[in-house]
Amino acid sequence: MNKKITAIIIVLVLAALGFVGYKAFISPKGVQGAKEVTINIVVEKEGIDETFSYNTDYEFLIQLLEEKQDELGISFQEFDFGKMVAGMMGYEADPASEYFHIYINGEDATTGVGEIPLKDGDTYTFELKNF
Amino acid sequence: MKVKDLVLIGILSATITAGKLALSFIPNIEIVTLLFITYTLVFGYRKSLFISLIFTTTEIFIYGFNTWLLGYYLIWPLLILSTALMKRLIKSEYGYAILGALFGYAFGFFFALVESLFYGIAYGWAYWLRGLLFDLIHGTSNFIIILTLLNPLKKLLFKLKRVYYNES
Repeated sequence: MNKKITAIIIVLVLAALGFVGYKAFISPKGVQGAKEVTINIVVEKEGIDETFSYNTDYEFLIQLLEEKQDELGISFQEFDFGKMVAGMMGYEADPASEYFHIYINGEDATTGVGEIPLKDGDTYTFELKNF
Repeated sequence: MKVKDLVLIGILSATITAGKLALSFIPNIEIVTLLFITYTLVFGYRKSLFISLIFTTTEIFIYGFNTWLLGYYLIWPLLILSTALMKRLIKSEYGYAILGALFGYAFGFFFALVESLFYGIAYGWAYWLRGLLFDLIHGTSNFIIILTLLNPLKKLLFKLKRVYYNES
């Protein structure tokens, strides 16, 4: 049994090192300080194309979205891996066929909304798409 | 295949679904890997492959059809076949704990490959990176669960199997 406990401790220590390594090198990092950012929401089938500008000190997009939840008409869906935008401007995406695609300055976002750091001057576009 | 085998496959499939649901409130800590490895060792890979097929199909009934479920049709048979192939090489529960750990650490990568077939490599890459911490939990917990529970579970199931099939 002692041998097993030692093996488990070794694996837990290695996992802790892996966690530290992830936090140090891989996880997205926020930028401190004041920023001016733009949020653009497009739901073509409803004729929605709205643009909002904000001055904020938040480091991540999700924090800004949560603060402006009412103004942007956002609803979130909770998953194991974090939050996902389920609705914007009061329009709820059909989970069977639609989702809100995120662009950062016109480029596809490569992470979920919870991991997108805010950067001064950036434009975050949420566009309803089919899959 | 006899009726007894069919009944057994049905019951064991149900235990895997129940085991998954029972722990579904804890992200990425599961006993499905432990159960598939144990069932392969006790009941053989043929029955276990049928069990994985029923388990994944049941998942579709519970969660609806998603692209990640296509991955399930591949990844669990992969674990079963790996266990069956490694059976002669692995002499103790440590080997299976390592197999389960590697399986857990690679889980997200495998699904990222499947997702990238549908949504492109950029999405697959993001999917993998976003899930790395969950893979870390998955692999580590698999190691601990298999190391501590494989032998007692295997012993119990061998005993029950003998009774079920009236073996001496």
